[in-house]
Amino acid sequence: MSRVSFLLWLAVMASALYLVRTQYESRSLTTEIDRATSEARRLEIENDRLDVERRAQATPLRVEKLAREQLHMRTITPAITQYATVSGAAAPASAEVHP
Amino acid sequence: MSSRSVQYTSSPLLASKTPIWRSQFIVAVIAAGFLGLVARAAYVQVIDNAFFKRQGTVRFVRTLDLPANRGRILDRNGNILASSVPVPSIWANPEDIERDPAKLKALAKLLGMTGPELDKKLQDEDKIFVWLKRQVDESIAKDIDALKIKGVYSRKEYKRIYPEGESVAHVVGFTNVENLGQEGVELTFNKDLGGKAGSRRVIKDRFGHVVEDIGEMVPPLDGQDLQLSIDSKVQYFAYEKIKETVIANKAAAGSVVVLDVKTGEVLALVNYPSYSPGKRGNLSGAQLRNRALTDTFEPGSTMKPLVVGLALEKGLVKPETMIQTAPGYLQMGTAKITDSHAHGMLSVNEVIQKSSNVGTVKIAMQMQPHDMWEIFTQVGLGQKPQVPFPGAVTGRLRAYKTWRPIEQATMSYGYGLSASLFQLAQAYTVFAHDGEMVPVSLVKTNQDATGARVFSSHNAAAIRNMLHMVTIQGGTAPKAQTMGYSVGGKTGTAHKVEGKGYASKKYRGFFVGIAPIDNPRIVVAVMVDEPSNGVYFGGDVAAPVFSQTVQQTLRMMGVQPDMAVKPQVVTQVEKESF
Repeated sequence: MSRVSFLLWLAVMASALYLVRTQYESRSLTTEIDRATSEARRLEIENDRLDVERRAQATPLRVEKLAREQLHMRTITPAITQYATVSGAAAPASAEVHP
Repeated sequence: MSSRSVQYTSSPLLASKTPIWRSQFIVAVIAAGFLGLVARAAYVQVIDNAFFKRQGTVRFVRTLDLPANRGRILDRNGNILASSVPVPSIWANPEDIERDPAKLKALAKLLGMTGPELDKKLQDEDKIFVWLKRQVDESIAKDIDALKIKGVYSRKEYKRIYPEGESVAHVVGFTNVENLGQEGVELTFNKDLGGKAGSRRVIKDRFGHVVEDIGEMVPPLDGQDLQLSIDSKVQYFAYEKIKETVIANKAAAGSVVVLDVKTGEVLALVNYPSYSPGKRGNLSGAQLRNRALTDTFEPGSTMKPLVVGLALEKGLVKPETMIQTAPGYLQMGTAKITDSHAHGMLSVNEVIQKSSNVGTVKIAMQMQPHDMWEIFTQVGLGQKPQVPFPGAVTGRLRAYKTWRPIEQATMSYGYGLSASLFQLAQAYTVFAHDGEMVPVSLVKTNQDATGARVFSSHNAAAIRNMLHMVTIQGGTAPKAQTMGYSVGGKTGTAHKVEGKGYASKKYRGFFVGIAPIDNPRIVVAVMVDEPSNGVYFGGDVAAPVFSQTVQQTLRMMGVQPDMAVKPQVVTQVEKESF
């Protein structure tokens, strides 16, 4: 009888120690997951920020300024545009006129 | 004497009999101790359990807020008009701040404050939290960090960024530091954009790591993105043009509204002066006002096509019917209605083309006030525009029963009632959308709109033809012409109302038009407030903005020119009446 008790006691101890270990592991994994989640969020926010940054670099204001000043481009007009239709029909309003 | 002689069994100490009460006493004391423990345990576990549980929780359970992202505002092509990014905000704990004068001075400088200003914020030592400055630049936050002042901290907060700046300021609006919409669609759609913050309860270890979740997490509900009907390119272009015009004409302000006729979407809605939503340091009311929606004025000659349209609809006139406008004025009781100069016999077409008040009044006086009132109401005058916008006004259109004959006459050429530029633009969709009044939308729909019929398709085309005549030689607004596209529209010039009467030298010039005229795609309305550089007629100040805006907008929409391209020279400008 006492041997059975001893074995049970051993089993309880082993189980208790295992529980402690599992708890510890679960907690460190939770920490890990938490860190990963906040990293994901940080990257998401960073992505948003860069999106805005990219847009700020491509606003019509800036594009027009650069096109005019650095690339010496000018606004197109119908007079210097060749219109093509998808169906292959002849494009009616086209002109090689210079404004 | 040997030690053996000692008789342990007969120690005198043992000889005396121990009194029984002593052992009983010990047992009692120990029992009392245990009882005390049991009582305490019962107290902790049962009676005041809640208190102790709470105390335990306070020591290791934390509730984390999970902030929701505010939705972005996009234009019709998905370009960002407003988005939230995290920026540092600086706060301090006055209770235990390190009061080193040199460091505080450096801090004040970085925060852009004076020393006394900073001292004032920090003087109350009972407080443990005070904002020093919210939403500072990343670089400033780093410099402050480098000062290493104890008791000064930074935390991340969301800030709204508006990459397009001034041109869309009035449409988009802005939020306050608490991320709540204050103006524009930021205010109207605040609920949808805002989202809902979530939370989770966790156990933290002493390093501050989350080690366990407790209970259910409430996930944050991110705000929805909002896609507007605005095209940022059209918007930008219109803004630049109205800005140039306002400056060149030394005007007080100007507005442009561009509507897509097929879908009823607002492609552009701009006002100048404007402001930069990111830097709202010293804003004036003049900058903030979304004039296209909040400022009303007497629509003047732009009402004439509506009256003529009604006359066509009722069969009172035909476009070719001749009307005598000589001698250039009309006496009605004590009032005298005049044209800018006498025209003689004019067809109905020409009445619109030359903007004759006398001709219009002669047509209008054949109608019932009720019919005129109904047409004005059907096109949205005197009613709040159905756009989700704070501060949109209704304008003024009095009940027809109160109209005196002279008032009916003046209303036929646009005096005695008022409307906003937006309302005018919407009213002109009646001509552009084949006689139907189109419901407008500030949110992208991409669906063809169906409107309420006001005029027959045939009569709408007839009016469009008259509007086209306004912009060709002999009309009041040849400057509205644009290369490649046929246009039509109506000028208006109004004395500004000041106090109880009209200001003698203050005007408002405007132009509402349609393009291309045979197969309309857009309605553009332009208003210039108080032009004071010599010219003030709508045909002179507003029509050129219309012309350029139409040109760019149709090109961006990929609309093929409907006119042969040739250099067009304007020879003569007719003076309009107002």
